[in-house]
Amino acid sequence: MSASEFELLRTVTLGQYLPTGSAIHRADPRIKLLAGLLLVVAVTAMSSIAGLCLSFALVLVGFLAARIPLGYALSGVKPMLPFLALLGILQAIAIPQNDANTTVFWRWAFITLTARDAVAVALLFLKFSVLVWGLSLLSFTTTTTELTHGTEHLLRPLQRVGLPAHEFALTLNVALRFVPLLAQETERLMKAQASRGADFGAGRGWNFVRRFRRLIPLLVPLILSTLQRAEDLILAMEARCYTGGKGRTYLVHFRARASDYAMLALVVVVLAAALAASATPADALAWRAISTLWR
Amino acid sequence: MSTEAVAKSTPARKIVIAGVMGALAVFLGWTHLGFIPWVAGAALTIMHVPVIIGAVLEGPVVGTAIGLIFGLFSLLQAALAPTGPVDVWFQNPVISVLPRLFIGVVAWLGYKALKKVNEPLALAVAGILGTLTNTVLVLGAIGLFKHLPWSALPPIAIANGLPEAVLAAILTVAVVVAWKQIETGARKSRM
Repeated sequence: MSASEFELLRTVTLGQYLPTGSAIHRADPRIKLLAGLLLVVAVTAMSSIAGLCLSFALVLVGFLAARIPLGYALSGVKPMLPFLALLGILQAIAIPQNDANTTVFWRWAFITLTARDAVAVALLFLKFSVLVWGLSLLSFTTTTTELTHGTEHLLRPLQRVGLPAHEFALTLNVALRFVPLLAQETERLMKAQASRGADFGAGRGWNFVRRFRRLIPLLVPLILSTLQRAEDLILAMEARCYTGGKGRTYLVHFRARASDYAMLALVVVVLAAALAASATPADALAWRAISTLWR
Repeated sequence: MSTEAVAKSTPARKIVIAGVMGALAVFLGWTHLGFIPWVAGAALTIMHVPVIIGAVLEGPVVGTAIGLIFGLFSLLQAALAPTGPVDVWFQNPVISVLPRLFIGVVAWLGYKALKKVNEPLALAVAGILGTLTNTVLVLGAIGLFKHLPWSALPPIAIANGLPEAVLAAILTVAVVVAWKQIETGARKSRM
């Protein structure tokens, strides 16, 4: 039983704030959120290696402008690599990408590895990296308070239709804040139960009743202690007379400057170019190069 | 604590419970703690249990909000890191988000109807109804988009939906009984 068995999200840097006082830190959080949202939507829809590389370059420029050491950002991605590798293997095997005009690298029983599989795995890696780095950049440069207020401002048009924008923005942020707390709490509980002889080791066999019975002494106290923490938060909010979004005024009002709009325009242009790249033959050329090299 | 359990529902309470239970659903999915390998191929999931617990504790609106967080997360997970052909279907929000909005409402209705009769029973029913809502609506949406033929759906509903319903009922009863300190008859809970 190794110590890492109990580490769930400790090494994940996503969700931390790293103050360096750069221009990106000082930018309007609404613009940063909008840019992040555009990045997520565009990258999810993207299926070209050239386009993803372009988006990756955009994120890298963002890291340089925010003066965040790249090594630090990389350390956040490192613990996900084994998981990502497994995912890549699973995808290559589970999602068949066979069609007539693709090079077959390797064939064994029902498993066939083709050039298309290689491209699919490369796409998966790139997509994942761009999204994790992009969202990390957002969290490194924006405080939780800014994120909450930014989300709320962006959701404000929905308030006209009667949807509780303020409440939903706050709910999302409570959720974001609690995920790392849950990870800490789970680690603590796993250690506590293991010290009493519980076995959380790799699930041997398919005995699902036993697996579920192993989860009960973990999940029930986890949910109960989470509810207890929630009570503390509720008490703290009510002690400060929190009554919801109605009639609420704000200490800080956001004002987007020309530089903010310029940043947003840059993101839009690069992402549009990246999306357009999937229509160009850049990827087909790359595939052909891989196939020729293989032969 | 017993006074807290019956405390009046305020905006702060609704927001915090929704956020916390949403975080729990995300956490269970992210760490794969919420999945249990199962003989029928697709793993059993208990990711929807926070939705049921939130709905039982704070009502249908909170249940829907947690369902929305759960649905958005499963959409994001399917889009970011698909682990198989099934995940590709979940990139459609009508399959991944929409059905999850109803889990809380149905679970709350079931709980509300039976609460006066027997509270632990009402909790178990809420767990079962909430799970079946998830199973039936998600599979229904999958059938609607013709990812699977309609005749293939009932066996999946039985093979995965029923054991999931049992797991959800056990967890809902265990957590809410302990939280509200309801006497179950077997013995008094000592929290």
